[in-house]
Amino acid sequence: MDIAPETWNFIGRFVGAAFALGLGGIGAAVGMGMAAAEANRGMMRQPSRHSDLLRTMLLGQAVGGSPSIFALVVGLLILFLPVNEATSGAVFASTLIGAGLAVGLGCFGSGIGCGLPALAACQGVARNPEKSTALTTTMMIGQALAQSPSIFATIIALMLLFLPIPGVGLASIGIAIGAGISMGASALGPGIGSGMTAGGAVRGQSNWPASRPVTVRTMLIAQAICDTPAIFGMLVAFIMLFTLQDLEPTIIGFSQTFAAAIAVGVGGIGPGIGCGAVGDTSCEATANEPKNDALMLRTMLIGQAVSQSTAIYALIIALVILFVV
Amino acid sequence: MDPVTILTLAQTVIAQNGDQAAAAAISGKDIIQAGALIGAGICMGFGAIGPGIGEGFAAGKACEAIGRAPEEAGLLTRTMLIGQAVSESTGIYSLVVALLMLFVIV
Repeated sequence: MDIAPETWNFIGRFVGAAFALGLGGIGAAVGMGMAAAEANRGMMRQPSRHSDLLRTMLLGQAVGGSPSIFALVVGLLILFLPVNEATSGAVFASTLIGAGLAVGLGCFGSGIGCGLPALAACQGVARNPEKSTALTTTMMIGQALAQSPSIFATIIALMLLFLPIPGVGLASIGIAIGAGISMGASALGPGIGSGMTAGGAVRGQSNWPASRPVTVRTMLIAQAICDTPAIFGMLVAFIMLFTLQDLEPTIIGFSQTFAAAIAVGVGGIGPGIGCGAVGDTSCEATANEPKNDALMLRTMLIGQAVSQSTAIYALIIALVILFVV
Repeated sequence: MDPVTILTLAQTVIAQNGDQAAAAAISGKDIIQAGALIGAGICMGFGAIGPGIGEGFAAGKACEAIGRAPEEAGLLTRTMLIGQAVSESTGIYSLVVALLMLFVIV
């Protein structure tokens, strides 16, 4: 049974767009729903302050919705991109599927992550409406940083769509799908973790508004560390896209890229969420006792570094698979 | 599925891609090597999820406790590190098994 190149192109368009929108929509929907639920609960308690709550909820949802917009843009590009005649067939289809996986999985995590600070901000505004401007600002800073993994994923998806894929035959198919999985899956955990950290900081600030500067500083440091697994995933995706010209076009070359992508991509999920759990409690504790912030920062950094270790093992295994074996 | 079926399946998929020579050259040894590579990737990738989340929770609770009782920071940090080291063990098993697949089986 032979499959014509045109059929491959259509398979790639449909499967790729389905991954992009199907997976990429979940996170933002869950995140916006959490914000709306908490805003409703707040209005029930304080009906007179409904306009403050509505504003915070809408701002949180607007920023939290942007990962799904990235997924929509890439999904539409996947559906309507002109066929690249040089790679038409299975290779073109696999670049579309790889781009879909990258942006779909990447926006899933950031969507949920952006919902967590919005939830905490709605809770805080309901309790303390006169501090709503400062809380909303912290929420938006946290959400912007929680979005960075989805932005990395969008960049890799656009590179897959518009740059030539190195290698021939099975090697190109492996590189395209591998770059997508390594970036997408590794952005999933950091997106959620970064959001957990921002949620903890917003919750801390709503309880202890006086310690805002030190809380925001701790949040920024913790979020930067949460994003590390996504950066490992992006590094492996770049390595695949730019340095693997001489990959064997056999089943071995394909399984090398696929295995390295699964290792670094899936391996980044746990450390991302774990670092987020550390950031969550340490931001809240810093807000409570700002005079202990140096001690708290030290403990947080040690805890995050140890949680990060399995992501580093995964990166090492991925590099060994690509370059040593 | 027996190895012969897997071999035939792989050859069919590659031949569909228009690469008849590559399809003919594929052997049982290649299938074993490909399996070991993908196995190592899955082993380390999925094996890293649990320790990552678990160590994060341990450190998160330690931060919460130090926030409440900063004078016990030394004891709490020590306990956190011991707990994390134990949680780490399954991640290290995954690393060892992945390296075994990469360097002993291949």
